[in-house]
Amino acid sequence: MTTARRCLIAIGALVMAYAVIGALTDPDVKFGALIFLAGVLVAHDGVLLPLTIGVGILVGRYAPRRARALLRAALVVSLAVTIVAFPLVLGRGRAADNPSLLPLRYGRGLLEIYAIIWATAAAAATVRAWRDRRRPLHRRRTPRT
Amino acid sequence: MVRDADPGVSSSRRADLLRRGVTWLRQPFPTPPAALRRGPLKRAAFDSKLRSPRLTSLLGLALAGAFTVCFGTGLISHLIQHPPSWFWWPSRPVGLYRVTQGVHVATGLACVPLLGAKLWSVYPRLFSWPPARNLAHAIERASIAVLVAAALFQLFSGILNISRWYAPMPFFFTAGHYWSAWLAIGALLVHIAVKLPVIRQALTRATPDRTPPGGLSRRGLLATVGVAAGVITLGTVGQTVAPLASISVLAPRRPRTGPQHLPVNKTAAGAGVRDAAFNPAYRLTIVGPAGTVTLSLADLAALPQQTVVLPISCVEGWSSTGTWTGVRLRDLVVLAGVDPDNAEAHVESLETRGRYRATTVPPAHTRDPFTLIALRLGGEPLHPDHGYPARLIAPNRPGVLQTKWVARITVRSAS
Repeated sequence: MTTARRCLIAIGALVMAYAVIGALTDPDVKFGALIFLAGVLVAHDGVLLPLTIGVGILVGRYAPRRARALLRAALVVSLAVTIVAFPLVLGRGRAADNPSLLPLRYGRGLLEIYAIIWATAAAAATVRAWRDRRRPLHRRRTPRT
Repeated sequence: MVRDADPGVSSSRRADLLRRGVTWLRQPFPTPPAALRRGPLKRAAFDSKLRSPRLTSLLGLALAGAFTVCFGTGLISHLIQHPPSWFWWPSRPVGLYRVTQGVHVATGLACVPLLGAKLWSVYPRLFSWPPARNLAHAIERASIAVLVAAALFQLFSGILNISRWYAPMPFFFTAGHYWSAWLAIGALLVHIAVKLPVIRQALTRATPDRTPPGGLSRRGLLATVGVAAGVITLGTVGQTVAPLASISVLAPRRPRTGPQHLPVNKTAAGAGVRDAAFNPAYRLTIVGPAGTVTLSLADLAALPQQTVVLPISCVEGWSSTGTWTGVRLRDLVVLAGVDPDNAEAHVESLETRGRYRATTVPPAHTRDPFTLIALRLGGEPLHPDHGYPARLIAPNRPGVLQTKWVARITVRSAS
């Protein structure tokens, strides 16, 4: 290991120590931050990611081969947008006396975005199918080694 | 001194200690029984050919850049709000903070698909066997767990904050987000240092894409992540880029939606100041070396008025431009008997409590003729939710520091 890498590790470790000491001495952080830290890790690695991979396996098993790539792409984009939109759609942040807060109908907005994503994917699939009919799949793409 | 008595012996002892420490860190752990290697821990449990060090390195590179942008802009916002003595933030350009904080939130949101894809690409490594070869390996894996947790903490807490949903966060958001940012950046530095040879090799050596025909290719996945980031950005960035407001169907704010066409974070009712704000006995008290001056709303309106066009730029990433009319803060500083070119003003609200009931305007902003105690917005008297009877509006400052319902200004000479 080079000296530069050792130095980088040492600096990183110091910054992490600064974060831990800072958080422990900050009365606003409290124990709850640690629960949230562990919570998001477990929720992501233990629930969200396995579910995503599970859906990916189902796509690989049941979707027609030609549609798989676009289906996966559309699912990934939809999932990413959903994560951002979820708390907005739920609207727990709304306040009765402040209509400027979360002023839009986010459920409808999310559906509109889904519609655009899936319409685009469907259009791309149609174009691909039309092209494939002219050029057979096995000749169009051979796996590189 | 004893330490210097025989440097030869002590340095050789130190080297010996270091060597023993390294040996101890590298001491192999006993291999766990193979019977425990089940489910995802099995060899080749994850079969996607899409995963490769090159994919991970490319995503990691983009993510490292994005996290650096978020950390830098976030740190700026923190330092403006809690300035240490060495820190200086200019009052111009007037919209600089609007840009840095807009970039902070937009970049953070664009990280959602990036981080998701990055973590997916290395997910099988979570189940590597044996779980830890030795103590050094165990420490490295723990530091990765910290990195992943802190990165997820930043994105999830940020998303919850812009949608104003605080219940799932059992801590004060700002403080948690701040310290977790340091944790993430520290762990990121360690991670990059540890993985540098792998990253270098993955990025310099051509790696064939082994994905089967018809499936999602490496280039296809990278494009997908880019499209996802683009959709999220277009869907939300209209909260600060007003021309995009109509297509940003997921923007937590609309720049022109709110009383007097400007969004509000804290209402007069929420701040508990309605009665005090409308009390005819309202006086603005200005305290300085020359004594105490009290001004009624009519007195304030009789002073020379200035009209400026300035944005309100919220820490939550939204911003909106308003046309403000009022008295220059520097004129009030003169009334208090202080040189306005070298003064700072402590501005207090009618609010009796709350984290942001008072703020100190630093010399650069006190000096700036655009800094107003505003009485009007868009030509009308301020809406109570915008700080009636009088509020602070200064160029290039976070919205939380633009104190509303101003009751008292204490002026002192800076230096």
